[in-house]
Amino acid sequence: MAYLAPLPGVGEQLKLIVRLRWCLFKNGLRRKNNRWDIVGIVFAGFFSGLLIIGLCAAFFAGTYSFLAKNRAGWIAILFWAIFLWWQIVPLFVAGFGANFEFGKLLRFPLSLRVFYILGLAYGFADFSAVAAMCWIASMMAAVVKVRPPIFAAFTFACVLFVLINVTLERLIGSWLERIFANRRARELMVGVFLLSMVSLNLLNPALQKWGSGARPAVLHYLPYLSWLPAPLAGKTAAHAMNGDFRGLVAEFSGLLLWVAALSALLWLRYRKQYFGEQLSEGTAPATRRTTTRRSSEGVIGILPPAIAGVVRKEFHYVTRNGFSAISLLLPPIMVIFFSLQFAGKNSMIKEHGLSPEVFYPSVMAYLILILLSPAYNAFAFEGRGIQTYFMAPIPMRDVLVGKNVFLGCLVAVELGVSLSVLAWRIGFPGWASFLSTVTAGVFAVVAQLTIANWSSLSFPKKMEIGKMKGQRNSGIAVWTAFGAQIVIGGIASVVLLLGRWFGNTWIPVALFAGFTAAALGGYAASLNPLSRLAEEKKELLIETLCR
Amino acid sequence: MNEIAIRTERLTRRFGPLTAVDSVDLRVNAGQFFGFLGPNGAGKSTTIKMLTGLLAPTSGRMELLGLDFQQNPIEVKRQIGVVPEGMGLFERLTGVEYLHFVGRMYGLDRPTTEKRTEELLDFMQLADREKTLIADYSHGMQKKLALAAAVIHGPRILFLDEPFEGVDALAAGSLKELLGRMTERGVTIFLTSHVLEIVERLCSHVAIIHKGRLVAQGSMEDLRAGVPGDEGEKKTLEEIFLSIVGQSGGERARLEELTWLT
Repeated sequence: MAYLAPLPGVGEQLKLIVRLRWCLFKNGLRRKNNRWDIVGIVFAGFFSGLLIIGLCAAFFAGTYSFLAKNRAGWIAILFWAIFLWWQIVPLFVAGFGANFEFGKLLRFPLSLRVFYILGLAYGFADFSAVAAMCWIASMMAAVVKVRPPIFAAFTFACVLFVLINVTLERLIGSWLERIFANRRARELMVGVFLLSMVSLNLLNPALQKWGSGARPAVLHYLPYLSWLPAPLAGKTAAHAMNGDFRGLVAEFSGLLLWVAALSALLWLRYRKQYFGEQLSEGTAPATRRTTTRRSSEGVIGILPPAIAGVVRKEFHYVTRNGFSAISLLLPPIMVIFFSLQFAGKNSMIKEHGLSPEVFYPSVMAYLILILLSPAYNAFAFEGRGIQTYFMAPIPMRDVLVGKNVFLGCLVAVELGVSLSVLAWRIGFPGWASFLSTVTAGVFAVVAQLTIANWSSLSFPKKMEIGKMKGQRNSGIAVWTAFGAQIVIGGIASVVLLLGRWFGNTWIPVALFAGFTAAALGGYAASLNPLSRLAEEKKELLIETLCR
Repeated sequence: MNEIAIRTERLTRRFGPLTAVDSVDLRVNAGQFFGFLGPNGAGKSTTIKMLTGLLAPTSGRMELLGLDFQQNPIEVKRQIGVVPEGMGLFERLTGVEYLHFVGRMYGLDRPTTEKRTEELLDFMQLADREKTLIADYSHGMQKKLALAAAVIHGPRILFLDEPFEGVDALAAGSLKELLGRMTERGVTIFLTSHVLEIVERLCSHVAIIHKGRLVAQGSMEDLRAGVPGDEGEKKTLEEIFLSIVGQSGGERARLEELTWLT
């Protein structure tokens, strides 16, 4: 019988986990790409250090000033800033940063108590937590400097505030881990995140329109926030300065209640994890056996079978990728945003904003730029499925055409919707302008697809649906896209300017029609060489995408 | 004389300084159930990848069904079916959608694709999962789907890289029966597996690759005859394999060192 060693204590386990995380970090740097990350880490470390130190000075000065001017209650503002930082920054880090699955530690013989303590220890080791604690320390230093008698009370409030923050952050993290174990929830989150970021652009016009009206309502509801941790911690300084013992006890009790409530919730959450919560995605419930649906192929029925197959597969992939599906809403949203900012009577740039003649081609160029960027890494989401293309008895030409046909249709629909929105928002620009915009769009799409196909085969990069971390094209593909878009955009601009120069708006239509014909010829001529290139790059594609 | 389904001549693949497959001469007759064995890292999957067009050889020739692969890649691919290492599935499709896609890629018309999809999903016991994404399938279910995709077009040669890994006993039994019937109808099956009992039961012919080199090839009887032992004793494939690949006494000596465990 093998000898069983006694279990290590909490301190030893913490040390082991710190070492484990260090090893994971160190080994991650072995990969070629990650060596460049060291440079990034050095830069990030330097600037993060500057941020922490700079804000330490700001928090010190703020606390000093509030206490010196007998406005101790205003310290709540500083606590609010720390609270928001502590709770929001980890959400971004969870999305974009390296993930270490804390729950994996459960395979080791840990007690629930140790598991809980380890969970909290993880919380204290986060960058956001370290930075926040530095700022709180600088606030305490200011208290020592300007009001030493209240130091003890203030320190106690700070300790409770730190405990509240670390517990809440772990609680939110734990719930997010559970929610995002579901693939669809992850995808949806990425899409919602993107839309939220874009929607921030609408904040300025919204504030301009409704900001003054909303102010009284905000001020009316503000007092109701006083029972939250930041105001409670802030008010302790005021009560201590005024010698209001009852007030001080009330604030401390409030903070202690928060600590107890959040700790209990976190304990329940970890308890669930500890006793084997099922976080992985289970298979979907079995559906009743039904006869396979026999649907007609519709318009894609006119395409050869293999190309039609690829088009259908691309359609399924877009609808299954929550991020892609939601990002299709972006073009009309951007059109509304641009029209609010740069056109009409509320325009920011002129009295009446840009004319439709300028607006149409500008917005179309921008939308094509957004919509075509995935084409430069068209195999990104194929994963192991890329092998199917190479095993099938078809040349890669058919796959590329299938992908391009689908993307072309998607772009056409998006531009159609966006043009309708433009017509509604700022009016129709006139037939010559409209047709030159459309022909320029077709030229730009066809020309870019030719280059994008080459880029996709030459510089593939794997991406995973529903993830944000590391989801970017290869550097060369990005530069290729950038270069192609500048050249094509430059050609289009020169052609449009020629029309203005000669005072004939139909000249661009004719020129763009010619360019489109040439681009289509070039596209057709490129397909067979690209098929041969795919054979040459086969191993690179399979290795990169199946990894 | 039997038609030769697979023939390679000095087939070699190098990855930098490493020679993964070294001058392999394979010969597989049509209708054979052929087992391709070797220890981990011996070059089995690399050989299958070359034979199915997923990897270009560094040197050497390959002929499948009398066609030079390099010269006629499309025609060769039309006649073979593959379950590659990693299965090569599009995980964001459902099983039905994936089989429809593969059928169309192999040029089947739509009604035929739909009919075969339905039959294959029924056979593989995946019919009740028609709305489930492949990403949500279990490993065994993915394997069965990859097998269905490999046969949907009626291939003449079937390459299977660890086809039974993760497949439940019930489905494995049906699959073995299906594969047996396919070989009766003249389909050649080229199979790799680490489960030697399966290979012994299914395969009529076997080749063993070790450190990139083909070290044995022939019928089970040929291989048994080539291994030293008592006359009349019927050696198992495992014994043959260990005898050919070589099991040094080192493992036993190292086992003795694990006294704290044993």
